[in-house]
Amino acid sequence: MAQPVEISLSVNGVRQGGAVEPRLLLSDFLRHELGLTGTHVGCEHGVCGACTVLMDGEAVRSCLVFAVQADGAEVVTVEGLDSGGELHPLQEAFRDAHGLQCGFCTPGILMSMIPFLRDNPRPDEPQIREALSGNLCRCTGYQNIVESVRLAAERMGGGPSPGGA
Amino acid sequence: MIVDGEHTFPGPRQTVWDLLQDPEVLAKAMPGARKLTLTGDGTYAGVIRIGVGPVTAAEWTLNVALRDRVPPESYTMQVDSKGALGFTRGNATVNLDEVEGGTRMRYHADLSVGGKVAGVGQRLLDQVAKMLTKQGLDALNKELESRLRDGGGPGDQAR
Amino acid sequence: MSRTYVGTSPVRNEDRRLLTGQALFVDDVQLPGMLHAAFVRSDHAHALIRGIDASAALAREGVVAVITAEDLGDYWQPGPLLVPPPPIDGIVFNQASQVPLAKDRVRHVGEPVVMVIAESRYLAEDALTDVFVDYEPLDPVVDLEAALAEDAPVIHPQLGTNLAAHVVQRHGDYEAAKTDAHLVINRRFHYDRGAAAAMENRCVAARWDPRAEELTIWDTTQAPIPIRNGLARMLGLLESRVRVVAPFVGGGFGPKIMMFYPEEVLVPWAALRLGRPVKWTEDRQENFFATTQERSQIHDAEIAFSADGKILGIRDFFFHDTGAYDPYGLTIPINSQCTLLGPYDVPAYHSEFRAVFTNRTTVTPVRGAGRQHGVFVMERLLDIAARELGLDPSEIRRRNYLRKDEFPHTFQILFQDFAPLYYDSGNYAPALEAALDIVGRDTFRAEQARARAEGRFIGLGVVSYVEGTGIGPYEGARVTIEPSGQVRVATGLGTQGQGHYTAFAQIVAEVLDVDVDRVHVVTGDTREFGWGTGTFASRGAVVAGSACHEAAVAVRKKVIETGARVLGVPADEVELEDGAVRVRGDHARSMGLGQLAGHANPLRGAVVPGTEPGLEATAYFGPDHGSTASGVHAMVVEVDAETAMVKILRYIVVHDCGKLINPVIVAGQVQGGVAHGIGNAFYEQLVYDEGGQLQNASFMDYLLPTALDVPSVEMAHRETTAPLNPLGLKGVGEAGCIPTGAAFAQAVEDALPHLALEIREIPLSPNRLFELLRDAGPADRAPAAELGGPTAAAAAD
Repeated sequence: MAQPVEISLSVNGVRQGGAVEPRLLLSDFLRHELGLTGTHVGCEHGVCGACTVLMDGEAVRSCLVFAVQADGAEVVTVEGLDSGGELHPLQEAFRDAHGLQCGFCTPGILMSMIPFLRDNPRPDEPQIREALSGNLCRCTGYQNIVESVRLAAERMGGGPSPGGA
Repeated sequence: MIVDGEHTFPGPRQTVWDLLQDPEVLAKAMPGARKLTLTGDGTYAGVIRIGVGPVTAAEWTLNVALRDRVPPESYTMQVDSKGALGFTRGNATVNLDEVEGGTRMRYHADLSVGGKVAGVGQRLLDQVAKMLTKQGLDALNKELESRLRDGGGPGDQAR
Repeated sequence: MSRTYVGTSPVRNEDRRLLTGQALFVDDVQLPGMLHAAFVRSDHAHALIRGIDASAALAREGVVAVITAEDLGDYWQPGPLLVPPPPIDGIVFNQASQVPLAKDRVRHVGEPVVMVIAESRYLAEDALTDVFVDYEPLDPVVDLEAALAEDAPVIHPQLGTNLAAHVVQRHGDYEAAKTDAHLVINRRFHYDRGAAAAMENRCVAARWDPRAEELTIWDTTQAPIPIRNGLARMLGLLESRVRVVAPFVGGGFGPKIMMFYPEEVLVPWAALRLGRPVKWTEDRQENFFATTQERSQIHDAEIAFSADGKILGIRDFFFHDTGAYDPYGLTIPINSQCTLLGPYDVPAYHSEFRAVFTNRTTVTPVRGAGRQHGVFVMERLLDIAARELGLDPSEIRRRNYLRKDEFPHTFQILFQDFAPLYYDSGNYAPALEAALDIVGRDTFRAEQARARAEGRFIGLGVVSYVEGTGIGPYEGARVTIEPSGQVRVATGLGTQGQGHYTAFAQIVAEVLDVDVDRVHVVTGDTREFGWGTGTFASRGAVVAGSACHEAAVAVRKKVIETGARVLGVPADEVELEDGAVRVRGDHARSMGLGQLAGHANPLRGAVVPGTEPGLEATAYFGPDHGSTASGVHAMVVEVDAETAMVKILRYIVVHDCGKLINPVIVAGQVQGGVAHGIGNAFYEQLVYDEGGQLQNASFMDYLLPTALDVPSVEMAHRETTAPLNPLGLKGVGEAGCIPTGAAFAQAVEDALPHLALEIREIPLSPNRLFELLRDAGPADRAPAAELGGPTAAAAAD
């Protein structure tokens, strides 16, 4: 077994670190080492997108990233989205437009949409659907997810989004 | 999974036949083979290491039995290979004909592949089989050429 | 101001937790000293086990236990029969339910053979590669018809046959009805397998607490109470010492029902035996092999018509693939059998099926649960007949709908609840007309012709279905007003995204006239509520929702009685308004519900005999029959005649699930179902080779629809209320995916009227459709008729 590697990274603005096996996935590090279980694991082969987090401002699939690769990075998970109990406008839009049912895929979708809306503050429906196409949802048929993202874009008015580096 | 094709070796049929029965040669020709030993009359056992696409390289135990041998014309090969990621088993028939320029080998393998490797490697299996076959044949060619060089004589005729 | 919540759509109570990553899913359970399980699974579809060598695994550092079937001793028992076969005359049913670990024989790829328990999941999975299982491969059974041949290998030797069941049900006399037929159509239809593919894989965690003598099991189950009852029995524990928690569950769709999966049975056993918490989390690949699946059937169906296009009778023989085991009995094929009849007046029906064991993953209900097969067969038969009779597909349906004055309607065949198939209420024709109005009754054919002139092939499919929902036996709920004035509702169901935390809160909040976000619903925890069945058959809202209503009504009665006592007036002078009781006409004399709850639980004095402390009530609800939901789906597609790619341009649903509790949640259920149905129709197929090996066991090869593949659904609701429950509810959870395949087939054919294309199989894929298009000869039929108008009877609604 390979020797553990010391890593140090920022997660939701908090300095975290420790010795990890080189093969430890970032998703497992976040969930099991740090207890940030809001990041979900749906396929472990990079297709479903449920495990998406922000790494240095960009959406990455944490099941395809080793924890050691996140050494020195700024990571934001769904737990870092609201501020002091106040929902992020994207979260609020998902609640208001019934953009989630079982909610398992939702954290990954939120974390995918943060950089998308930062880069595309006024997206149209085809752009939203394209941006969502890397996240699988079995419950909603996507219709209300598309609407939630549209609503969020409207409410956010192109303003800055947290976690966006 | 069917793997079939033909290949012409630049050498006489008896030399090719001998080559194909030699465990040391087969061990070299078998991509990823760690070892291959003769365990009985026409039976071999060994370990190979192969990965298929997203399925990481893993060790597979391999048992091969050569049957119905009609030297130097034909034989059948029973293959039974298994590992943590699944299994491959089946039969292959090999025919050797004398043709202009050497010996033509025709092979036809009917293999069943099971377990993880079948479930997630499916799209790649045909390609992998082709690739492994090509690697094997290239290795056999090389070995044949070296034998012919060392032994001299018959190889010159074939060229 | 009294609150109205039923029929409105407040934001969901559960969403904050889900959106902030605070909702607990089973894999989030992390306990000190927790061990992790992994399973060695069969690579073979059918083989004998000659031996198992686990010594290397046991020697690996970090491995705590390696368990084989032999190690289980008496705990090794086949799983329970979850649903017994219905009492149908002449029924044959051969039971063979799954075993915890394969002992001498494996029957499908992915069947667990050895359980490895280690200090981490990584180590447990490492150790899997150390276990050597010596198999003697047997010929696999994959083809449904070949499985019943004399010389077929037998999967369960003790049965001596691969026949799992043979059932004949009759309504009227088909042979007699057929003698007068003007037209008889006979076709074979195929329906193949798909995965439920909930985004959350299965997961089980268990902890034995020796001090409390309590076993707690967190389980991704749709039915925590049956799981608790079954595990308590198997483990020899009191039911009250076993707590099963199904916290937030990431999608169910059927396979998370009370399955007693091997892992579900073994993880609690291991936790007890080892004295340490144990968790197992399925990975996606295991999910493809080991989580139950559905849908393979082959139907040979015949339908007889009169000259004016009225159905005289139907005869259907079908094969149903039950996979390696049949723990769920006959729910799926019985659903297929019953749902085939649809919203139509069918005077004679002969339906006969054979359920067949195969060396493929076990089949149990997946969203729709056999209903879509019946709908596909029926709707396809109607389409083929319409073509023969020169009728528009909508017209042949109009001529055969049950009329609204024909309810309740009974067929002489048994439904999955063992009662005769019973339609409590319905009004079908107006739903069709509403759908056609949304499509554009007067404009669609012209648009289609214009597109055709531009070389674009556009087609319309319009199909109908009914869905038996909300079956018994019962569910219960307890409603409690706490001294804070907040209300707690506990019910025994599991929840997998259906919005129960909100829908049940709405029902209770309306009865007690409190804000909906002050009603806290708990589901899926047997310690909170220990009686009930589970979430399946589109029954949660209907049955548990009704129980919540009844419990809330009982609490309201206590509120009034207690209020009368405390306020010192007769009960009929007390009113409940805005979270308080008050004296009618003297609103200054009032008391908030929280304070009243304190009075109902006095510290001094006595509770009057015959009364109970607290403002709390428990109620149960069990309907006599399931309530029959219905709907019409219309689909407009564009087919690329060269590549066979199909684009869905519009999808229209007119749905009738009786009274709507929360229209936005209902719409969401339908939209999700439609997406699932579109996947089943065109993207998703579990492909097995002739050796019983699944060929596409990943999301790279098994394609779930994405946001680019699923259209927005245009929806209209109709509310034909059910007379069977106090709120008039019918179920909706499965509806969206039931008729989708049938709509898809009709729409594709309609787009290509120049081809003699007859789609008799589902799922299609671009590849398969390409073959069908390539092989289809030119059509010999008239151009599509106008969509036409409603009959006088329907127009009157």
